[in-house]
Amino acid sequence: MIAIGLESSANKIGVGIILHPDDGSTPQVLANVRHTYVTPPGEGFLPKDTARHHRAWAVKLVKKALREARITPKDVDCICFTKGPGMGAPLQSAAITARMLSLLWGKQLVGVNHCVGHIEMGRLITGSTNPVVLYVSGGNTQVIAYSSQRYRIFGETLDIAVGNCLDRFARTLCISNDPAPGYNIEQLAKKGKKLVDLPYTVKGMDISMSGILAAIDGLAVQYGLDGEWNDAEEEAASDDSESAKPTRADLCFSLQETVYSMLVEITERAMAHVGSKEVLIVGGVGCNERLQEMMGIMARDRGGTVHATDERYCIDNGIMIAQAGLLAYKSGSTTPLKDSTCTQRFRTDEVFVKWRD
Amino acid sequence: MSPPLLDTIHLSHLPPSMPVHVALYRDVQNAPYLRQQLMSANADFEYAFIDASTVLSRTHLLSAVFRAVNDYMNGRLKSRNVHSEIVFSLSPATNIAESFRKFGITDATKDLLVVKVSVTPEITHESVAAHLGQHVEGTPVPFDDETLSTISDIAKIKKAYKLGALNTAPPNQANGTHDAGMRRLELSVLGAIALRGAT
Amino acid sequence: MTLITQGAEAHLYKTTFLSPSIPAALKIRPSKPYRHPILDRRLTRQRVLQEARCLARLVREGVNVPGVLGVDWDLNSVHSLKGVEKGEKGVGAGAWILMEWIPGCVVRVVISRWEKYLSSRSHSQGNGSVQAEKEEEEAKILALLRRVGAAVGILHKAGVVHGDLTTSNLILRGTGADADAEEEWKDGQEPNLEGDVVLIDFGLASQSIQDEDRAVDLYVLERAFGSTHPRTEPLFGEVLEGYRASYRGSGSVLKRLEDVRMRGRKRSMLG
Repeated sequence: MIAIGLESSANKIGVGIILHPDDGSTPQVLANVRHTYVTPPGEGFLPKDTARHHRAWAVKLVKKALREARITPKDVDCICFTKGPGMGAPLQSAAITARMLSLLWGKQLVGVNHCVGHIEMGRLITGSTNPVVLYVSGGNTQVIAYSSQRYRIFGETLDIAVGNCLDRFARTLCISNDPAPGYNIEQLAKKGKKLVDLPYTVKGMDISMSGILAAIDGLAVQYGLDGEWNDAEEEAASDDSESAKPTRADLCFSLQETVYSMLVEITERAMAHVGSKEVLIVGGVGCNERLQEMMGIMARDRGGTVHATDERYCIDNGIMIAQAGLLAYKSGSTTPLKDSTCTQRFRTDEVFVKWRD
Repeated sequence: MSPPLLDTIHLSHLPPSMPVHVALYRDVQNAPYLRQQLMSANADFEYAFIDASTVLSRTHLLSAVFRAVNDYMNGRLKSRNVHSEIVFSLSPATNIAESFRKFGITDATKDLLVVKVSVTPEITHESVAAHLGQHVEGTPVPFDDETLSTISDIAKIKKAYKLGALNTAPPNQANGTHDAGMRRLELSVLGAIALRGAT
Repeated sequence: MTLITQGAEAHLYKTTFLSPSIPAALKIRPSKPYRHPILDRRLTRQRVLQEARCLARLVREGVNVPGVLGVDWDLNSVHSLKGVEKGEKGVGAGAWILMEWIPGCVVRVVISRWEKYLSSRSHSQGNGSVQAEKEEEEAKILALLRRVGAAVGILHKAGVVHGDLTTSNLILRGTGADADAEEEWKDGQEPNLEGDVVLIDFGLASQSIQDEDRAVDLYVLERAFGSTHPRTEPLFGEVLEGYRASYRGSGSVLKRLEDVRMRGRKRSMLG
């Protein structure tokens, strides 16, 4: 069976095509294409502009995916789209495209929970069977474990998502949003040495980010590091490691060290709670190599392993929607046209996971 | 002079090579002399000299010794040596001079606890017993809870640990017996010793 | 020194304090090599101290919790309690709290024994004369549940919320020779339901007098109760009754608990 998946919940629009061979062998990714709406440094993406970008790219990407997959609409069994969660206006792009294709091609629709999409794609790519999942992206921060037909949320952020925290700090420092603000923070953090004191807020298995963002933004302003870059000044500051004044790199380094420690800590707590030794990191922030490294050290200490995927699958994409949608479709779930809406709020644990034991 | 009843104790979690020697005296006659040796830093008198009325029980004293030796082994002494640190460790406050005023020997001390830790192999039960027998003029008594209970000044101890409000002796009350009250006082004191200097 | 439990944060051992005749619980927080050493030291120190301070304060207030016997909040300590026993220097083995050992049985085990005892009885009997006996037995478990509620109430009254209340974090303090009789229980034997309820594991505790925090504490206990003791869950009301009677101000907390329940705390953590 073949499914096409459409994703547009944030600033990326993606189309993916997956094949589940009839003989039950490993699913194959036939196509996975994507386009990102990149804003200038210092600016975030606004829903209206993002949606306009997605509308402009939707048809182009579907055509490209079909071409890459070397299939025609006839070969497609179902059309999967992100139902939520995400930003309202961008979400609608994929939903409308999916509805149009459904009517055009006469194929059934499957609405997919974005988070479940990440989890299922992660499980497929890494082959980890029953991991504790850390889902970290611009809009979500959750620690999840599977139990009797649900992906249950053990811990989550009480305010903003970790990716949002990083993105907003990138804006404060006027770091480029190309290819992604988080990626550029990671590169800058590699040059950081000094750890500045930031709030560390873990409450049981939940975390809070807003205090950390306020604190690091405050430090950036205090040391005059916000706004436009002055390369010469940055160079001079990094040469002078004795100086009490942190550099931009130090701030990025400190932010990463603090926030990722919190994430690893709550993941470890969930692992101890459910007695699992496997961790799967999904979501855009999951590409971060320092986060993967820290998680790896923790998992090894517990005699376990960490699984992560690269940017093709970590960052929002269409193939994960196709994968999760096809699993649901094969277990008999479809979404009637009249219910094929999208929603900004859609909790991971609302999905009845029929396809797992 | 009667032979001292010197108790030599191996504390849990401390190296077996470092036993602790404790002697308890009543009716001490030469407290000013002993205190003078401390003041002049006479190396032969490197002891913890403690006014026994400030000590509730064996556990109370030994937990201060435990803290001092643990800090000693971690290179964290705040005072001159492990013996002065034992007196300091009895105190819930971080002021060393004050800890000596409250818990250390004074010229008026009649009931005296002496502690010596075998920080070097030359310090043995025999050497400590001999030296104390020679220099402390007082009646050696057993270092046990029964004896200490007749010596300790509960009001003074509560004041030193700022536990004045603690209800320690409510016999026949819902909250328990005199024993339970004393147990609570002891645990409160142990907590204060353990947490001294925590910021 | 015997390992009792190994959680994500800490390892708990049974050991001794000062002399082999004084049992003690040792909670070691090992260094976490995944995090930056400066952050690691800061957090470990903060948490060890937070827990020890909470316990010490509660002991002074007369709340039934284990007393603090010793603390080392410095991860850099070279003298580790664990190392000495093994005859080695355990560098960086962790910061620790040495606590009073509470003899007895965790309430989780007590209740599950009671549930088993009850079901073994209901199989073997069924005539009317047993009714009075049955009520007498039920009175005992109800009294225990009220004592659990009262213990939580007294804790809250002292200005502390536990943060992780489960029936595994409550010990029914044993008395006498068979105080530590965890293993010596035969299936179907009537378990002891007498004794003080002692609260343990304050690793997530904090100071608070907010109705919200107190209500969440109760809610977490209620959820844990439901998932661990489904058969006894209908009696959870007794816990709340014991709580209500334990201090002034419990009324508004119980009211708040209804809101917290409605909200469902967003998530299903114990599922």
